[in-house]
Amino acid sequence: MHLKMFVLSASAVALWLAPLTALDKKVSWHKAVQGVSLCAGIACAVKAGSIAYKLSEDAEIEVIKERAITADVIDEISVSTYVSQQQRQQEAELMLASPGLDVEAGRKSLEAMYDNDLQDSASTSDNPDYLVYLEVRKSMEESKSATWIIENILKMGGRKFADGKAKLETLLQQFEREQK
Amino acid sequence: MKAMYLVNYFVAGCIASSFLGWIASLHPMATRAIAFLLAAVAVAWVMCWLLDYSLSQLLKISVSQLQALLVSVLAVLLIGLGVFVCT
Repeated sequence: MHLKMFVLSASAVALWLAPLTALDKKVSWHKAVQGVSLCAGIACAVKAGSIAYKLSEDAEIEVIKERAITADVIDEISVSTYVSQQQRQQEAELMLASPGLDVEAGRKSLEAMYDNDLQDSASTSDNPDYLVYLEVRKSMEESKSATWIIENILKMGGRKFADGKAKLETLLQQFEREQK
Repeated sequence: MKAMYLVNYFVAGCIASSFLGWIASLHPMATRAIAFLLAAVAVAWVMCWLLDYSLSQLLKISVSQLQALLVSVLAVLLIGLGVFVCT
């Protein structure tokens, strides 16, 4: 459609100017050719103008359609937002009205606890003290004394013995609690 | 695309005024007839300028649009007849 319009516009200008400028006036039929070409030029220009008018109207309709689609999408989003807000408000009102039947909050708290447990179990194996704890446990199963463990595994003999004893207790408490 | 539509109708007007010049060149009687037609158009053009506010209300367009239309009619006539006379 665009190509047709441009071709018609160009041919209208050519049919207007070419016979007037290029045609030899000594030729007997130059007047007739001028008249025919001017009539054809008018027809081409009017046809090109009507095509351009139709195209401009189509473009305007497309713009209006795009605006309508955008408005629909915005309306849909705002409606869904409003509905979800209403639902939340209703849930909150129900929870406030019946605190004994707070199933959703219980479910959420259980989920949170479960997530924390998972994180703890994941973090236990990543802890560098966990290997030391395993060695301590192995030594305890072999009936080694606490003094031996502090001196040989924790490497905290002599002046650091008191600190080593505290560290041993801390290790045992920490990992045994997590294993429970 | 609206510009193309306006340009095409402008070119059509130019060719039409060249066509009037071509008709005028065919016979002395036709020349007189076209001269009379052009004189009538000139009178109407001036009247439109004088009555632009009333005409804009009648045609339901703004005054600036009517003035643009009148200027473009003058340009169309001048360009079309000028091209025909100069060639």
